[in-house]
Amino acid sequence: MAQTGHDLRQVGDCLWEIPKAGAMRVPGRIYADERLLVHIREEKALDQVANVAHLPGIVSWSLAMPDIHWGYGFPIGGVAATDPSQGGVVSPGGVGYDINCGVRLVTSRMTRDEVATRVPDLIRALFRDVPCGLGSHGAIGKLSRKDLEGVMTEGAAWVVTKKGLGTETDLEHTEERGRMRLADPEAVSQRAVERGLDQVGTLGSGNHFLEIGYVESVFDEKAAAAFGLREGEVTVLIHSGSRGLGYQVCDDSLEVMQRAATKYGIALPDRQLACAPVESQEGGRYLAGMACAANYAWANRQVIMVLAMRAIAATLGTGVEKLGLRLLYDVCHNIAKLERHAVGGAERVLCVHRKGATRAFPAGHPEVPSAFRSVGQPVLVPGDMGRESYVCVGTESAMKATFGSTCHGAGRMLSRAKAKQASAGRRLDEELARMGVFVMAEGKGTLAEEMPYAYKDVAVVVDVMEKAGIARRVARLKPLGVMKG
Amino acid sequence: MAAVAAVEAEEPVERRPDVIEGAMGKRPSYREIEHTADVGVELSAPDLRSAFEGAAAAMFDLMSDLDRVGETWRGRVRVTGMDLENLLIRWLAELLFLSESEGVLLSRFTVDLLDGHTLDAAVAGEKFDRAKHAVRVEIKAPTYHGLRIEEVGGEWSVRVIFDT
Repeated sequence: MAQTGHDLRQVGDCLWEIPKAGAMRVPGRIYADERLLVHIREEKALDQVANVAHLPGIVSWSLAMPDIHWGYGFPIGGVAATDPSQGGVVSPGGVGYDINCGVRLVTSRMTRDEVATRVPDLIRALFRDVPCGLGSHGAIGKLSRKDLEGVMTEGAAWVVTKKGLGTETDLEHTEERGRMRLADPEAVSQRAVERGLDQVGTLGSGNHFLEIGYVESVFDEKAAAAFGLREGEVTVLIHSGSRGLGYQVCDDSLEVMQRAATKYGIALPDRQLACAPVESQEGGRYLAGMACAANYAWANRQVIMVLAMRAIAATLGTGVEKLGLRLLYDVCHNIAKLERHAVGGAERVLCVHRKGATRAFPAGHPEVPSAFRSVGQPVLVPGDMGRESYVCVGTESAMKATFGSTCHGAGRMLSRAKAKQASAGRRLDEELARMGVFVMAEGKGTLAEEMPYAYKDVAVVVDVMEKAGIARRVARLKPLGVMKG
Repeated sequence: MAAVAAVEAEEPVERRPDVIEGAMGKRPSYREIEHTADVGVELSAPDLRSAFEGAAAAMFDLMSDLDRVGETWRGRVRVTGMDLENLLIRWLAELLFLSESEGVLLSRFTVDLLDGHTLDAAVAGEKFDRAKHAVRVEIKAPTYHGLRIEEVGGEWSVRVIFDT
């Protein structure tokens, strides 16, 4: 079962393999370079990659992206595809508590120079208008049960059509158009519903954030033009998820899945990997509930985005349209999806788990919005709050090697406790100000735990995926101001 | 797994000989443990009920300084589980649910009944007040990952890792 000191074999420029051993059904594969591997080896993340390889019906490999770090059950940065027709399972641990935690990026026609002196005002305005942190209430008021069902089944579209927040184009520029059709509110417990009623339009805390930045450099002119990214122009990055409703859906499902694992005779090396066949009652019910939470998260980010756009425009004494604020794209990085993939020359429907990993579909893929189809799907990779973030684009090799998936961020390097130790006695806001970043945080511990040195360098992570041919860099964003929950 | 940041001060409670009498505080005695993505706690207690109470107090202390949370809100919690580990997770998850649905922070936990499958407890806390309560970190859920409940030499030790 779980082993330490894995015998890693290098199988590509930036690719390492954990050979199949014991009850592993497939090998493990880790995208990393020597630098990242040092950190990865220090943790138990490799054990987790091997543990995931035990899941029934897993296809090809248990994958890890270069921002992998130790999670619970699945590693964060883990990707696993299972084949439902071969008894393949769905595991809530392969999605995580924050179902459809994700990122959206807003572009504008404002230049960095135009807003340079106003960044503190803009961050204060975001703090005022976007609810965050413990005890915050939903920005669109407490919903009725019926409205919440609308959110759970229609996702971002509910916010656009019923609340008039945002546009049809926003939906086109959202993964899955902000709505998974598998959603069935019957699969969501009363407790989850209660937790969800008053949290639509809340940022949350921890690593969730709102960030104002700018396009510092462009690497791929053609893709950047298609994405509407121009050097020097201001961007807004939003990171949030499905809040208490999603956590509860996950929590509820773990109970069910533990019984299901026993019922279907599934032996697992870690209780947090509990799962059921996709084509079982328990598996289907999880996916239906998970889709509700995913839709909730898209609705949440849609509301947050519109609030943020309005706060920015009001602070600058102008309108959202005048500033050219528009959604570039929204990606989810904690999800399980039924997708078509070619395996061994045949196309199969697989259940692809992405836990801290981003979909990265190539040019021409029907799921890529028409505006971007000639270049590929935008991939948003936020870094730590002091350094930089990247916009990348999916490739054809990603379809062959990673089930169309890539990294999702920098990946933690220091535990929260270690980060706090490293931060003790320091004026973190002043340190960030020296890096040119104005920061405000709701939680007392958040800044200390989320400082740049707690994370790997996202540039290295993105570089590995580019060298491996999985996702190409399109542009680099630099932060100017950050609001942390 | 290195233990760090031992915690000070607790008011004297008979069932917790490991806590230090101090000031006005009621902070539980626990160690925050290393986990890259998340945050975990380890604690030991003379009996299982105290261990369950201590885990709950530690969880809320991670969220907000327990010293500053009063006891004006009171409630009861009853959970069932298939085994001790499941019961501990259900207990902590139920408290998080209560906290979020009622808008309260909890600071006092009295487990009245605990057998292998059922837990019954009285809890007390206070409505969350942004001006009064310092927010530390939002906890999404207690996880089964690395979960440990064991009796060693007449002491119960508990380890829980939370998703944050």
